[in-house]
Amino acid sequence: MAVGSPVVAEGLRSIIDSCGDLAVVLSVDSLHALIDRITAIAPDAVIISTELCPTDAGDIKSAFPELSDMTLMAVQSTLCSDETLRRFDSSISIFNSAEQIARRIREAVDRPAANNYADSHDLTERERDVLVLVAKGHTNKEIASMLNISPHTVISHRKNIAHKTGIRSVAGLTVYAILNHLIDGDIE
Amino acid sequence: MNHRKPISHTCERLSREMKLVELINVDYNLLSIFHRLNIRLPFGDMSVEDMCQREGFSTELFMTICNIYIDEEYRPSVGTLSADALPRLIGYLRASHRYYLDDILPHANMHLESILSYCDPLSGTTLRRFYDDYMVHVRKHLEYEEQHIFPRIETLSDNNGVLAATELDMPHSEIDDLTGDITSLVIKYLPEQAPTSLRCELLFHIFRLRDDLRRHALIESRLLTPLVERLSKTNSL
Repeated sequence: MAVGSPVVAEGLRSIIDSCGDLAVVLSVDSLHALIDRITAIAPDAVIISTELCPTDAGDIKSAFPELSDMTLMAVQSTLCSDETLRRFDSSISIFNSAEQIARRIREAVDRPAANNYADSHDLTERERDVLVLVAKGHTNKEIASMLNISPHTVISHRKNIAHKTGIRSVAGLTVYAILNHLIDGDIE
Repeated sequence: MNHRKPISHTCERLSREMKLVELINVDYNLLSIFHRLNIRLPFGDMSVEDMCQREGFSTELFMTICNIYIDEEYRPSVGTLSADALPRLIGYLRASHRYYLDDILPHANMHLESILSYCDPLSGTTLRRFYDDYMVHVRKHLEYEEQHIFPRIETLSDNNGVLAATELDMPHSEIDDLTGDITSLVIKYLPEQAPTSLRCELLFHIFRLRDDLRRHALIESRLLTPLVERLSKTNSL
């Protein structure tokens, strides 16, 4: 993780350590220090505090190719725009409870808690958002507009969903969403 | 995609002289071909050729179908097939459709019905609806072939006329996707209350249908289409 504030960094480390099966493999206080070492470490997820990201950098994964294949999580310690958060795969806030933070990190690293036999947690939070909208019958264009992402990103999420679940049709994804309690049955 | 491993040089392993019991030992899935053609057991020590003569079925065509069935890489040569191979092949394809609709799908449906009794009402209803839609898709695909494609080919056999290979293009990918979805749902996501034994029974039927539909598609693209092209060429002379 790359977090500027030592208080936030130590707090996150404490929560992550208490999970048992998760560990902080690198903790630095700048984006450059992170980029220098990230490739050698290849972590399951990268947590970056939002204030470390230059506002004009555009898409982080494009600006830093070293991060392109990694799951990026934002940690917000100040209020920040939706646009900033969209540059990450998921986010946590210092105002979240320890349980919420642990759950989101688990989701981000695709490691569901042991008592979940249904693996809807294999999907990232954003993929689940897309899946639910697909199951409700929305088109890629509508989903892009509702989630403020590009249609291309929606297609990319849909490919990942199909790959992870083994389900390609909208009808099949609807069954998946209901079996995993992601939606209720009020859809046609 | 989980195909059975292709057997190499199968065309040399199957011969018209071999006994039917030997043929079935090469791949027991060939039994379903006898079943759909309504060829009754027992065979005794009858050879493939004897059986074809007894049933009035072209030995050459039967061997070609068996070869495509057991080896996905097999590419038949239609040159050796007689003129009546086309109507006979249509007869076989129609029989295959009946086999899917009257045999495999109802059996799979019976096992699904048992599984649904273990699901909560919402999951059960949703899965039921999905499977019904799947059956409708399969049925529509087969009906389209029976009502639009096969009659045109039969007309072609009776009269002069031509039919372009592109008009025989019958995409199977959607059915393949839906079949994959059912198997993923049953293997990965159906609640644990649904007994494994029932799931396995359902999956055996679905996988059998999937594999057979793939062979069906191969028979259409590698045998039916070249035969239609050959006939079109003869008719246009």
